[in-house]
Amino acid sequence: MTMLSKEAEQFIIELRMYLLSKGKNEKEMDEIIVELEDHLVQAEAEGKSVKDITGDSPREYMKSIGEELGFDARQFIILAPMSVLLILAFLMFTPALWGDFKLSKIGLWGMGIATVLSFALYGFLFVKVLPRFFHSKGFYIITGLTYLIVFGIFIIVEFLDKNPFFIATPMQNNLIVIGCIIVFIIWAFYAKTWITILVPFFMSWGPIADRLIPAHMNENPFFITLAITLFVIITAAVMYFIYRSSKKKEM
Amino acid sequence: MSTTTQMLKGLLEGSLLALIAKGETYGYEMTEKLQEHNFAVVSEGSIYPVLMRLQKNNFVTSILRKSPNGPKRKYYSITDEGLEELERFKEHWERLSMGVFSLLEEGEDGNDDVI
Repeated sequence: MTMLSKEAEQFIIELRMYLLSKGKNEKEMDEIIVELEDHLVQAEAEGKSVKDITGDSPREYMKSIGEELGFDARQFIILAPMSVLLILAFLMFTPALWGDFKLSKIGLWGMGIATVLSFALYGFLFVKVLPRFFHSKGFYIITGLTYLIVFGIFIIVEFLDKNPFFIATPMQNNLIVIGCIIVFIIWAFYAKTWITILVPFFMSWGPIADRLIPAHMNENPFFITLAITLFVIITAAVMYFIYRSSKKKEM
Repeated sequence: MSTTTQMLKGLLEGSLLALIAKGETYGYEMTEKLQEHNFAVVSEGSIYPVLMRLQKNNFVTSILRKSPNGPKRKYYSITDEGLEELERFKEHWERLSMGVFSLLEEGEDGNDDVI
């Protein structure tokens, strides 16, 4: 079995992001990508470079491919509300699981603006910036920084969030949790990814522990440290597992 | 540059149709055959947008099958409409190339006369 070089892999990722950002039909997109991957594998085996395939300007080449692909309005119409639902589910999941879901004016506006901002930031990052850094340390640093910025915005909003006009009852909290879980599962099936299951799973550790563990243990620094250590170890292990399985898939 | 590219695109379309008409084939094999014939393609990848257009116009059909390398490979074969289009292209090309050829010949003769 043959593997693609870093340049070829990067080109494929850049192409996919470019076509995705143009709202192209995903089926057609997958087809041309499979075809180009096959071509690149054979070309590289014979010592050719990516430039031999794309010509001098990979960007121009991507454009020429994009022009032949149809814009998929239906996919776009489904994807947009689904994404909004997913973000809402992520935002509501933890507070509801903690049992203190509430809504306030600042909260709604703040979360709305923060969501749009993070959308724009991540969109820009995925399409324009990340493909270029795919195989360098920069990739992780940039992803990490963006995550921190977005997380920071949400924390600030949370901090300003006072005077709720709606406080959920325990029953409503549980219903919200169930609703969120349904959204996560639908997404996992739709996008064929484990991420929308795994991330909420890790997010729910703290709240679930809080519900199950008696209060006196909960305030003991020893147990807090233990919980955090365990959490970090398990997260790292899962990340490593995902990393390894994605490596295997490439081969 | 852009007229050359446009011209190449049209010629590439006809040439690829001719290649596929000879029997089921796939992208990389097509670029190899083009090179055997010393066909001056801008870059290997430039065949793919053309193939996509051929398929959209129903001149060719394709099927994904397992390749010896592991990943799936897209094999193309020609349709009846494609064969008709190929005939049209051949006629066009013969007329065009004859015209250009005789024009260039005449030019060379003219040069010879001057010398």
